[in-house]
Amino acid sequence: MSSTQSAVRSHAEAVQVSRTIDYLGLFILFFVILGGFHVHAMLTMGDWDFWSDWKDRRLWVTVTPIMLVTFPAAVQAIVWEHFRIGFGATLCCIALVLGEWINRYFNFWGWTYFPINIVFPAILTPGAILLDGVLILTNSYLATAVFGATAFALVFYPCNWVIIAGLHMPVEYHGILMSIADISGYHYVRTGTPEYIRMIEKGTLRTFGKDVAPVSAFFSAFVCILIYFIWHFIGRWYGTTKFLQQT
Amino acid sequence: MAATSASVSAAGEAPLLNQRNLWCFGIAYYCVYYLIVRWYEGVYGWSAGLDAFAPEFNTYWMPILKIEVPLEFATASFIASYLWKTRTRDFSTVSNREILRRHFHHFVWLVAYANAVYWGASYFTEQDGTWHQTIVRDTDFTPSHIIEFYMTYPIYICTGIGCFMYSYTRLPYFAKGVSLPYLLVVVGPFMIFPNVGLNEWGHTFWWMEELFVAPLHYGFVFFGWFSLGILGLFAQIFDDLTGLIGKDVCPDV
Repeated sequence: MSSTQSAVRSHAEAVQVSRTIDYLGLFILFFVILGGFHVHAMLTMGDWDFWSDWKDRRLWVTVTPIMLVTFPAAVQAIVWEHFRIGFGATLCCIALVLGEWINRYFNFWGWTYFPINIVFPAILTPGAILLDGVLILTNSYLATAVFGATAFALVFYPCNWVIIAGLHMPVEYHGILMSIADISGYHYVRTGTPEYIRMIEKGTLRTFGKDVAPVSAFFSAFVCILIYFIWHFIGRWYGTTKFLQQT
Repeated sequence: MAATSASVSAAGEAPLLNQRNLWCFGIAYYCVYYLIVRWYEGVYGWSAGLDAFAPEFNTYWMPILKIEVPLEFATASFIASYLWKTRTRDFSTVSNREILRRHFHHFVWLVAYANAVYWGASYFTEQDGTWHQTIVRDTDFTPSHIIEFYMTYPIYICTGIGCFMYSYTRLPYFAKGVSLPYLLVVVGPFMIFPNVGLNEWGHTFWWMEELFVAPLHYGFVFFGWFSLGILGLFAQIFDDLTGLIGKDVCPDV
């Protein structure tokens, strides 16, 4: 067969081959990204995501978007430019949340018996959709970094509010003011339970009371813009098509 | 996908995509195996895995470690050796259609790799977090580590070596040199395994708290980033496929 002759025999077969490769490619991309992103997520912000008594108004709100805008930025940099796929960030976050939910149900609950309402993962998809939406509408990585990454961080707390609000209700317990989440955490003792390990509500910002979450979210949004830029170029680097030696 | 197989089977030749390989090797093998492993953890984690100095720990957990590690080295060596030994030495005799068929085989390898990476890096890694938040660790070889570090990581490493070697020995596009993104996507997750050495050394040298975001774990994070090499690898694969599906039958290419 000539080297220039097509490997397929008809236009119809070319379409079938192309579709099959698309499905296989999406499966591979989804699960490889899931693995890498999940390792990154659990070891950079995992403790805040594992336990509801870590999901505070300050560090959870700050750390989670900053750490999770990374892979979406890197994936967007390649899949939008090379393949015109406009759902890179959503794919990353859905993959991550799927991996987290499977784990929380079958392992946190299924193996070590923590109730699901202590170990549920954060909701990430709305921010990811906004990130993708800005990229699709503007076709600009700069606009995506400035507006998309900002939105990614700002919507994080409101999107999770419906699931976390009840657990932030204040209660008096043995004369001490706590939240429902705190009490749940103290009832389910973990090897990491000591209060000095639990990094929540640190610093004096909490004295401002009601303003803690918005201030944290805006700070997170600012850092997310910078992180988006950095990870955009990290994504480009990993998206290289170079060969180490040409023979 | 079924249509792809059927259309060429009618011509009396092997299908472009071997469905049995895809579903059995790529998907079912890993899933069934790890479900059995997970069942074993559920039963013998609690009944025999709480105290590393207890006799039952030596009965139910240490043999797994002693068997799996040499078996994994042997498997990786066999896969690499076999694929190298049976490599294509003259690509000029290989038709474009055969190269396309090999691309599909390569995709099956990558599906298996994606599957193995999921179980190792996602499922059993985060599982480790909840086990060590529940049971005080008294050894480096906890039930969770024996499965996570010494079983699932080497299995995806073996599968990654298989992917890389298959492409390097069967596909002319990848035989022309060492693909940098391919190297990243295989070697990065591979380096997570040696990083286990740092992790265990740190856990025994310092009085470590059970904190998943501790800096001691950042080595895993760094090497996890290398999975993004899949983006560059796909750009290379599709570059080759675009040339294979020629304009004579598909003007859209």
